[in-house]
Amino acid sequence: MTAPDPDIARSGAVESSSLESKPAASEPVVVDKTGRVRDRRHWNASLVAGLILTVGFLLLAAVSLFYLPADPNLPAVRDRLLPFGSPGHLFGTDSLGRDVTAQLMLGARTSIYVGAGGALLGLIFGTITGLAAAASGKLTSETIMRGADILLSIPGIVTALVLAATIGAGAETTIIALTIFFVPSFTRVIRAAALRVLEEDFVTAARLYGRRRLFILARHVLPNIAGVLIVQFTLYFAVGILVEAGLSYLGVGVSRPSISWGLMLSEAQQQVGISSPLAVWPGMAIVMVVLGLNLLGDGLRDVLDPKLAKGR
Amino acid sequence: MARFILRRLTFFIGALIVSSILIFLMIRLAGGNVAAIVLGKDASPTAIDALAKEYGLDRSLPVQYLEWVGGMLTGDFGRSFRTKESVADLITSRLPISIPLSIAGLVLALIIAIPVGTYAARNTGKPSGTLVALLSQIGIAVPVFWAGVLLSLFFGVKLGWLPTGGWTPWSSSVSGAIKSLVLPTLALGLVMAASLSRYTRTAVLDVMNEDYVRTARAAGRTKTGALLSVGLRNAALPIVTVLGLQVAELIGGTVIIETVFSLPGLSRMILSNVAAREVIVVQSTVMLIVAFVMVVNLVVDLLYGLLDPRVRVAR
Repeated sequence: MTAPDPDIARSGAVESSSLESKPAASEPVVVDKTGRVRDRRHWNASLVAGLILTVGFLLLAAVSLFYLPADPNLPAVRDRLLPFGSPGHLFGTDSLGRDVTAQLMLGARTSIYVGAGGALLGLIFGTITGLAAAASGKLTSETIMRGADILLSIPGIVTALVLAATIGAGAETTIIALTIFFVPSFTRVIRAAALRVLEEDFVTAARLYGRRRLFILARHVLPNIAGVLIVQFTLYFAVGILVEAGLSYLGVGVSRPSISWGLMLSEAQQQVGISSPLAVWPGMAIVMVVLGLNLLGDGLRDVLDPKLAKGR
Repeated sequence: MARFILRRLTFFIGALIVSSILIFLMIRLAGGNVAAIVLGKDASPTAIDALAKEYGLDRSLPVQYLEWVGGMLTGDFGRSFRTKESVADLITSRLPISIPLSIAGLVLALIIAIPVGTYAARNTGKPSGTLVALLSQIGIAVPVFWAGVLLSLFFGVKLGWLPTGGWTPWSSSVSGAIKSLVLPTLALGLVMAASLSRYTRTAVLDVMNEDYVRTARAAGRTKTGALLSVGLRNAALPIVTVLGLQVAELIGGTVIIETVFSLPGLSRMILSNVAAREVIVVQSTVMLIVAFVMVVNLVVDLLYGLLDPRVRVAR
């Protein structure tokens, strides 16, 4: 596999690699810092690898809605700790004889629900505050940005712990904690992106034409930062999955009968001496999915928004 | 410079006030009748009232807030409902575990990340640089607790070289204490090194094309020599900033890794007190953590302003 990295595009030191055939003549070309001409809108290795991993992950969760190989919460004492590849239990069973394949599938569903839920809510609120900070006067903008700075000083895990204690642990609590955790970062990124768009000539033209601020934001700024939003969503989706797994591992996230990869790891660690594969599968699942989303986000950044790679 | 320091200090104090209000409200508003929950179902109303009175829980929230802040400023962080221990004692008794762990983890991460990141930047486009970049991408995707579980499985269970968890106090055996910190430090440091090496790589790539590096090369330095003498020093600025931002992450990682290796550090204290609804312990501990993160960021900002005059004007 070749370099899956957006930083290459940023430095302009080398041409980023391409899995796809020669770019079509109509594709936009960019002259970078070193004076080399390179095309931007191509499939890069990062994007392809990220897409494959992410689609696989989404499919796994989608299939779990219709089909599970076994009841993931049903203990079967006779089938305890079956190894990988056992008939009927592809990934074996845990110390209570529960099917690991089914648990992994349900875990994928939890990851999507919590990770994407937190990233989406964070994105919605972050877009509102980020656009407000970009388009309003100094006082409002300063207030919002300083508020974001303050929230960033509170470690996300502390917020999650406190919330779990006050409103009770669970998937929804984790989503709220993630939202609080993500909003300040989204606000910063979206404000920066919006400020760049607001400097464009077409915004000035719209303003001179008499368009209202809200109209300009909705009609001109939002579509132009859509690429940034998609990239940020993908990257924070991955962060959300990591945090969710961590909290469930600590016992303040998702608990049975719901299943999380972090919860599976915590259960596996309690009998680590007996069966180490149990501690391997959920971790591998997390790494593959998070890696996939990060590669996808980086690849999308190169394709959707070359400017963003600079502003990072 | 004086104006810059003044502005930073004003924001720092304002941020402390706002975050203390946020933390207080978040913990107290969702709380219900704390005294009743702490004492349990069988407690008599008089006992509940007595406890509420003893800890001032019967007074209005603004009064309680002011008393709490006033106490914190004079070094009184409150006491636990059940054990009556002072929060200051609770925290300081855990620091001999949490502080060495997080500092060692951070140092290890830096020792790995700076050479690795520089190497990756230096070899961009070559297979070796690509491989290093890919490895750090994978490292970023590894949850810190999984790294901990795998390390304890391999070095603890399989090879039996190091304890899989648990804690030997410094007072009973220094080598025992160090042994129980080795694997947690490795897990924390390796995972943090992945993201730090990526930041290092970006920072070095940025300075690599700068004029002063070219000048150094024109003056006869080798490519590596130029990078080491002028490049890395300039790349250090963004890396320091990132370090400031990573402090919050470092604390989060320490909390999780302490649980993986069942170390009785700060995290176990927070977790058990959160579960026991010890609101005063929790709100003081959380406030101290947040204040610590803010102090680190203040120091980083001031240093940055000292090193780079542009920052003083821009902010």
